[in-house]
Amino acid sequence: MADIGPGIEERAGAYAVIGAGMSGLASLKALLEAGFDADCYERESEVGGNWNIDARNSRIYRSIHLISSRPFTQYPDFPMPDTFADYPSHTEVLGYFKRYADHFGLREHIAFDHDVLRVEPVDGGARWDVTAEGPEGAPRTRRYDGVLIANGHNWSPKMPAYEGLDVFSGTVLHSKDYKDSDVLRGRRVLIVGGGNTGCDLAVEGAQNAAATYHSTRRGYYYNPKFVGGRPSDQVNDTLLMLRIPLAVRRLMYKATLRATVGSFDKLGLQKPDHEFGETHPVANSLLAYYLGHGDIQPKPEIRRFTAEGVEFTDGTSADVDVVVFCTGYLATFPFLADEHLNTADGRPRLYQNEFTPRHDNLFVVGLHQPDSGTFCLSHWQAVAAVRYLEAKRDRPEAARAFRAQVAAETDRQFTGGMRFTDSTRHYFEIAHQDFLAGVEQTIHQLEGAR
Amino acid sequence: MTGGFGPTTVMRRLDWASPPPRVHREVLSALPAEPTGKPPLLFVHGVAHGAWCFAEHWLPAAAERGFPAYAVSLRGHGGSGGARRLGRTTMREYVHDVLQTIAELPSRPVLVGHSMGGLIVQLVLERYQAKGGVLLAPAPLHGGARAFLSLAKDRPAQALRTAVGGTLPMTPEVLFEGLDPAEGERLSGRTGRESPIAQWQLLFPRTTGPIRTPVLVVGTPDDRLVPLADVERTARRYGVEPLLFPGIGHDLMLDAGQDGVLAAVLDWVDTL
Repeated sequence: MADIGPGIEERAGAYAVIGAGMSGLASLKALLEAGFDADCYERESEVGGNWNIDARNSRIYRSIHLISSRPFTQYPDFPMPDTFADYPSHTEVLGYFKRYADHFGLREHIAFDHDVLRVEPVDGGARWDVTAEGPEGAPRTRRYDGVLIANGHNWSPKMPAYEGLDVFSGTVLHSKDYKDSDVLRGRRVLIVGGGNTGCDLAVEGAQNAAATYHSTRRGYYYNPKFVGGRPSDQVNDTLLMLRIPLAVRRLMYKATLRATVGSFDKLGLQKPDHEFGETHPVANSLLAYYLGHGDIQPKPEIRRFTAEGVEFTDGTSADVDVVVFCTGYLATFPFLADEHLNTADGRPRLYQNEFTPRHDNLFVVGLHQPDSGTFCLSHWQAVAAVRYLEAKRDRPEAARAFRAQVAAETDRQFTGGMRFTDSTRHYFEIAHQDFLAGVEQTIHQLEGAR
Repeated sequence: MTGGFGPTTVMRRLDWASPPPRVHREVLSALPAEPTGKPPLLFVHGVAHGAWCFAEHWLPAAAERGFPAYAVSLRGHGGSGGARRLGRTTMREYVHDVLQTIAELPSRPVLVGHSMGGLIVQLVLERYQAKGGVLLAPAPLHGGARAFLSLAKDRPAQALRTAVGGTLPMTPEVLFEGLDPAEGERLSGRTGRESPIAQWQLLFPRTTGPIRTPVLVVGTPDDRLVPLADVERTARRYGVEPLLFPGIGHDLMLDAGQDGVLAAVLDWVDTL
């Protein structure tokens, strides 16, 4: 290894992958498969990222299952076994990632227990220095031809501020620290947030707590996980395959909701203030069930906390012992200066959520919140990055044309005609098939005529 | 890469909307006594056969040479489930069965497909980059029209039966050249039915996305089901010369001389 600076190790021709979760594994595999040398950095001692429940930074809980079913969710070249449930549990998912890593021989390329501290450009981004700290102590820097960032976006908690929270005498948690229902058992519980985690935890409250209040800022569409005995995302994909227009699909969704969940008003829920599909979908069959049994009491936004409990904006109040904020996560890249990802107002502006107009050797894989599964999307994003690297090497004119498009169309949206509600969790919201068709276009463009 | 490849298929809407139903899958195997570091082999059979046709000679012989050797029975075949749905089974479901089996293997396999299995392997390789791909007397990706016409000339009655949904003829005269008659009868007696839809699908030309796996094409001029010209055209698609074994019939893994074919295949695999 050539020494190019004090303690910097040269990795000419090699790429760094940050994270060995669902997107990092796909990125590492895509690089190796195309013959590129690569090192992957993972801060835990096992693959799986968020799905590795024992990891310090895992944000999942014991009862969690996928909210999208297998066919779209899985890696397209490594299907989940048919013996898995339609919606596999986290233990099945972690086992799947482990087998993927073994099958494709990825482990020998992963530096486990390595925390990436800094990713810095050399010569304006011609090369990249990745500094990581491993179990041996002193941080080490290696110099790469490029970096694929797959650090995930569901680990840095978003914590809301409420008046009186400092005087509240009960237990306050963010869902990041919630692992199982022990913390709820026999107690009076307030669950805050209408996302998938909030709904899952409200259900766990109904099953375990003495009383469960579920506070949401707005009304949402709570979708059942099965429709007519089939996973609902497969039903949705059937409608998309038949190219049913969005307006007709919305009517059909609402009719289905009325037939399965019933009227939101009757359950005491707020009416959604937005069209179906404009917020990240919630897949939960049990929420309506427990609402109907009175085991979950729906509440609007919180006005303030008191020493004993909470007051809501509708004037009602409740005494509670435990508050769990299921208020989501923020995408952050603590090891990288904002400018490299073209960040404005705290949001990276990337073509297809992946390509930064600032550099042609820096990619983000997995920064997407689809209305369906994610592994498949990350797989094809990783393939697109690698096809770009191949084009840059073999067909520079095609690569240049693509770069021009990245610069010109950075803000193009792949939302399938939806106008997603603007919030920190929705700016990278995508419509899965629309987005993937865009990635397919990119791959075709970079493959060119052979 | 040579011509004849289309763009990568990313959008697989039918697979997302309607995955093939789950059935029991038979996977037969023979493993070397000690781990050897050699890649696993996964054998995929053709029309109306099952994993048994590789268990007869090739699985133990390949294990003897140090390869973990596996053979899958496609749904509705051999010991796999799905026989009752066979009449409605399509090629897509066979591709699914092979991908499912691959995902159970400890590392990237070399896929070895015979006849219709050779076509299935090509459809798998556009989705999955294997260590290698071996196509034995492969049903052609460019469509089986020539094969069907040649069958119609030699055996008009059987061709007509096939056209209306009967299984392709699996008699000893069609499958073997040098096997003694009793053995030929025994093996041909083990064949079953084929899905008429899958057989019809064999007739139509298809294309695949880029295939990045090294491919070996093996054939025989004495094949009564897949004409030599089709084998040669398949080989051209991958820019390789076909390996030919005169004097052997369509069932290269069962006919007299099968050991020579396997030896040549494994020699090629050793170069990967």
